[in-house]
Amino acid sequence: MKFYRINALLLKYYYITINRIDRIFDIFYWPVVDLFIWGFAAFYIQQLSDVNVLSMLLGGIILWIFVWRSSQDIAVFVLEDFWSRNLYHLFSTPVKLSEHMVSIVLIGFLRSLATFVFMALFGVLLYSFNILSISPLLLAASVFLLSLFGWVMGLFTTSFIFRYGQRIQVLAWSVVFLMQPFVCVFYPLSALPGWAAKIAVLLPPTHVFEALRAGISGNPVNYIYLGYSFLANMVLLILVVLFLNSSFKKSKMTGLLAKGG
Amino acid sequence: MDYIEVYDLVKTFKEKGKEIVAVDGISFKVKKGEMFGLLGPNGAGKSTTINILTGLLEKDSGTVKILGFEPEKNWEFVKNNSNVATAYSWLSDVLTVRQNLRVYAKIYGVKEPEKRVNELLDMFELGKVADRKVIRLSSGENTRVVLCKGLINNPKVLFLDECTVGLDPDIADKTRNLIKNYQKENDTAILFTSHYMYEVEQLCDRIAFMSNGKIVKVDTSANLKRLIKKRTVEIAVKKDARLLREFLEAEGINVIFAEDNSLVFEVTTEQDRMYKVMNKIFHKGFMLSNLHIKGPTLDDIFIKMSRQK
Repeated sequence: MKFYRINALLLKYYYITINRIDRIFDIFYWPVVDLFIWGFAAFYIQQLSDVNVLSMLLGGIILWIFVWRSSQDIAVFVLEDFWSRNLYHLFSTPVKLSEHMVSIVLIGFLRSLATFVFMALFGVLLYSFNILSISPLLLAASVFLLSLFGWVMGLFTTSFIFRYGQRIQVLAWSVVFLMQPFVCVFYPLSALPGWAAKIAVLLPPTHVFEALRAGISGNPVNYIYLGYSFLANMVLLILVVLFLNSSFKKSKMTGLLAKGG
Repeated sequence: MDYIEVYDLVKTFKEKGKEIVAVDGISFKVKKGEMFGLLGPNGAGKSTTINILTGLLEKDSGTVKILGFEPEKNWEFVKNNSNVATAYSWLSDVLTVRQNLRVYAKIYGVKEPEKRVNELLDMFELGKVADRKVIRLSSGENTRVVLCKGLINNPKVLFLDECTVGLDPDIADKTRNLIKNYQKENDTAILFTSHYMYEVEQLCDRIAFMSNGKIVKVDTSANLKRLIKKRTVEIAVKKDARLLREFLEAEGINVIFAEDNSLVFEVTTEQDRMYKVMNKIFHKGFMLSNLHIKGPTLDDIFIKMSRQK
């Protein structure tokens, strides 16, 4: 991997972000809409309960950004190159798949951070909820583990895009939301029915959101589960990188890459 | 030195369970400073060949060497010293022309990227649209932007796949001159495909004619034209056009057009047949008011080879 090539690709994705109003808009618009909906809902439930529902829901929705943004940005930036039939030029240069992916992961992370800062400020202004009141270690671990899972999901979707082309582009927007009900963003693991809990417990983000709720309510955080989350993420990352490489190779066999999708 | 070497290259695709042979064991070499044309009808395998050479498509078998190296083993060196321009793929349409070229200059590690970008924008007369998004360019402007990208790293090997499509005649002529001058100044090996025969004739030192995935013939354009043994003769006489037509038909000559005092016919050059026929016409005393003998063009070669199985 060459840093100057990653840097060049970062510049490209930065240009895409600043040149397209919708790519700026999606950093702020949907997250704020979510913050209003869940914030108001939590505000109401808070009045009926003794539990700190508002903080738990807002904490969940703010940190969910790292899964959502990371996953979607990877897939959509790759699709962007498919749409403009630009992959032909990109991969006829010395750019490697790994450099391409690293640059997209980095730009996705930066965009997630921008959304996070914006939502954190909105949380304080609208609901007097300060996400930074969570222990810095827990917050940093949560951001890292959730981003990691987002990258896994994004690379997984990208593998399908390289394998089957633009016809499966709907995955770019939908895969992550298929996961959302099972990773316990808004409710504890114990709230899920048995069969769903069996799925949820295997998914790395579930334990991050559980730890977050424990941290907010002043209960001890189970760092062993966070360790599991890290390991599971790493295993998934290795598998998805293998799948991505195989899909990329296949796209070079079938001519999909040369045709640009 | 051979900058491009291709030996027994094979590529097949599977479509609905059927195997389609796109490139069927082709071999050719392109020397340093040579412009080599790949000609052939749609589906002949020209673009597939270029896609394999640029690393966008995996070959089934065969050997490819660029600048003496097998690309799979020396990817970085090969790609840093080669480039491609094609009419079939744009640069990122959300970015402006300048932004796109800047990104590619940085990808190739060009030492003074801004200077190089400005040089190319001036060279291809794109200064006025430099800050316009690619999506808003005309197809001719797009073609030139892609050519700028193709030259951004001063490549030693350049692949040009129908790169002049959509250019108006004036810009196309300027572009051809720019490509030719660039090649002379840098001793670049260029693999060139086009559907414009006069362009191939004007630019290419040698031409390979492809059909059904195979190279049917490789030669210079002059030698290729010698394959066509027919000449087209346009003739006008002051009188007796009907008699002339009868004479030609009696000689077994195919008259393809006749109107008023003008006739057009085809005659073979084999065994001095054309000279003999023309001699007879003069001796018969026909009074010619116009005579034009047309040699074969690359179009004729293209049609002849395309129709051969």
